[in-house]
Amino acid sequence: MFIVPFVVRLFGCGEVIVDIIVCIKQIYDLGQITVDTATKHPITEGAARKISDFDKNALEEAVRIKEKHGGNVFALIGGTKEAAKEALAMGTDEAFIYSADTDSLGTATILAGIIHKIKYDLILCGEASIDEFSFQIGPRLAEALGIPVLTYARKMELKDTEIIVERNLENRYEVAKARLPALVTVTKEINEPRIPTLLQILGASKKRITEISLEKPEAGVENLSITAIEMKRKEVILNDIEELAKIIMSEKS
Amino acid sequence: MDFSFTEEQELFRKSVREFCEKKIAPKANEIDEKGEIPQEVLEDMASFGLLGITIPQEYGGSGADFVTAAIATEEIARADISMATAVYYLVEAGWGFLINRYGSKKAKEELLPDVTKGKTFLGIASTEAAGGSDVAAVSTTMAKEGEKLVINGSKTFISGVREATKYGGGYVTVVKTSPELAHKGLSLCYLPVKDVPGITTNVFKQMGREGISTGAIIIKNVEIPSHYLIGDWNKGFYYAMEGFNCARPLVAAACIGAAEKALESGIEYLKERRVFGSPLAKFEGMQFQVAEDYAKLESARLLVYKAAWMLDQMYTKNRFSHKEINKAVASAKLIAPTVAFDVIKDVLIWHGAYGYTKEAGLEKGLRGVASYIMGAEGAQNIMKLIISRELLGKDFAPY
Repeated sequence: MFIVPFVVRLFGCGEVIVDIIVCIKQIYDLGQITVDTATKHPITEGAARKISDFDKNALEEAVRIKEKHGGNVFALIGGTKEAAKEALAMGTDEAFIYSADTDSLGTATILAGIIHKIKYDLILCGEASIDEFSFQIGPRLAEALGIPVLTYARKMELKDTEIIVERNLENRYEVAKARLPALVTVTKEINEPRIPTLLQILGASKKRITEISLEKPEAGVENLSITAIEMKRKEVILNDIEELAKIIMSEKS
Repeated sequence: MDFSFTEEQELFRKSVREFCEKKIAPKANEIDEKGEIPQEVLEDMASFGLLGITIPQEYGGSGADFVTAAIATEEIARADISMATAVYYLVEAGWGFLINRYGSKKAKEELLPDVTKGKTFLGIASTEAAGGSDVAAVSTTMAKEGEKLVINGSKTFISGVREATKYGGGYVTVVKTSPELAHKGLSLCYLPVKDVPGITTNVFKQMGREGISTGAIIIKNVEIPSHYLIGDWNKGFYYAMEGFNCARPLVAAACIGAAEKALESGIEYLKERRVFGSPLAKFEGMQFQVAEDYAKLESARLLVYKAAWMLDQMYTKNRFSHKEINKAVASAKLIAPTVAFDVIKDVLIWHGAYGYTKEAGLEKGLRGVASYIMGAEGAQNIMKLIISRELLGKDFAPY
């Protein structure tokens, strides 16, 4: 099913060509989701879907590496053809789509199952999806594949058969390296994803999209319901500034 | 029957919207206030493939069809509702297509790559002081003198005069080549305006879409090379009508784009703004206006995309007669600016005194759309003449 040539091809000058897999999740545009005022359940009907933001950064980075070093970029997309077309327009060579209505463990299991059949040098993921923010897919997938993982990359560089990464750890950053094949999760600081032009979109229609049907794996966590958080305002009305000052002082103490 | 866009067109709309939100919308107020589209915006539009979008790839364009070009127009006008950026884009899309269709190979190779790179501006110079939409009454002349063509006359209310003299570029220009033959004695040529001996220009102060200039071009014994003739001698009237048919659906798309954006922001405002203890949106009087504005705008939008689609069908599949195209295009151009003006006016009124301020960012939309009611790309009454001529027959034409 997946015939992809392996690998890290080294040339005299130390130039490397790598094949990169990018894991992508298609999500609802959170700005377009409304909440049912009675049940507090989210209403997704009519909301547009998009590639999760940090996954787009991962895709952009993969395409930049390809443009610099050569190789191929494959996108594994939990979502629809629409997301696949966008990924292809951004520079992906081939896209695989699957449907995954499961938790982080389930998704990582699915991805590992697919990736086991593909030869690759580097796997890129967003640090988290912006709808669930579990931050788990990358590390769980690396564990399942038995390869090193470097998380929260704000910068990365390929050198010979190694990937060197600047990890953004909020109050500091650290530089770490791993031997390929490896998995890296990226943050939004790493790049600004390109917006595909008309010609890139039209060119993408010639590229291959493969649908993968899978048995739903067992999830570690079963999702019972999703309910919006209710924000109750205190609606305190103050008559003068002295009153406000007293409250602030009392809360301070 | 299928009203859907192709998957590629849907993705393109998403892309253009993202591009416009990042690169154009943040500059919209500056464009209106300074009366200029910043050069970096034009450079970004060129790199993104928007400028001269209908021009083929061999000249640096994207070879877009008119539905796709209309999608981009609608999105650009949503980002800059003053219409200035949309106008800059659409005149090049409409008239660039025409030059590619009828211009000489030498002229296309010389001119079109600079248009698609955003280095030069390309516009249309048809209107004259003595005759606006009455193209047949053009009095600017062009005569053959040896290997050269010599032009004399003047054009007025021409979009992009300052841009064409600043960046370079020129105009698809309607000229009289056989005065005795009325409209059958017109030709079309390309007239450069930057640093050309015999060309003087001036720029008018206008009520709206100030980011792109409007002005006059005075042409005195201006020599152009013979390869700047567009198409055949004395066939210019027909090419010009075809060019207007290409540009008008885009004009109409720009109007609805600006009005859609205004209506969306108006709806948000009605939901937020509370009066007498309720959001404005709770009042039936407001709801009826929202519904009417939406329905009118959607009708205009359908006319726009139908006209653009018919053009694409005509060029790619040889479907539809010129009469059918004329009716569809003129209907879109007749309805869209008026509907857009009414919708933006309603949204301004919903905002009360705030709507009258520049800060609300809405009044520039009203001023911009008004240009297409006043007459740019063909006056509304000319659209009515075109439609009635096709419905009643030439025998009943008043002129």
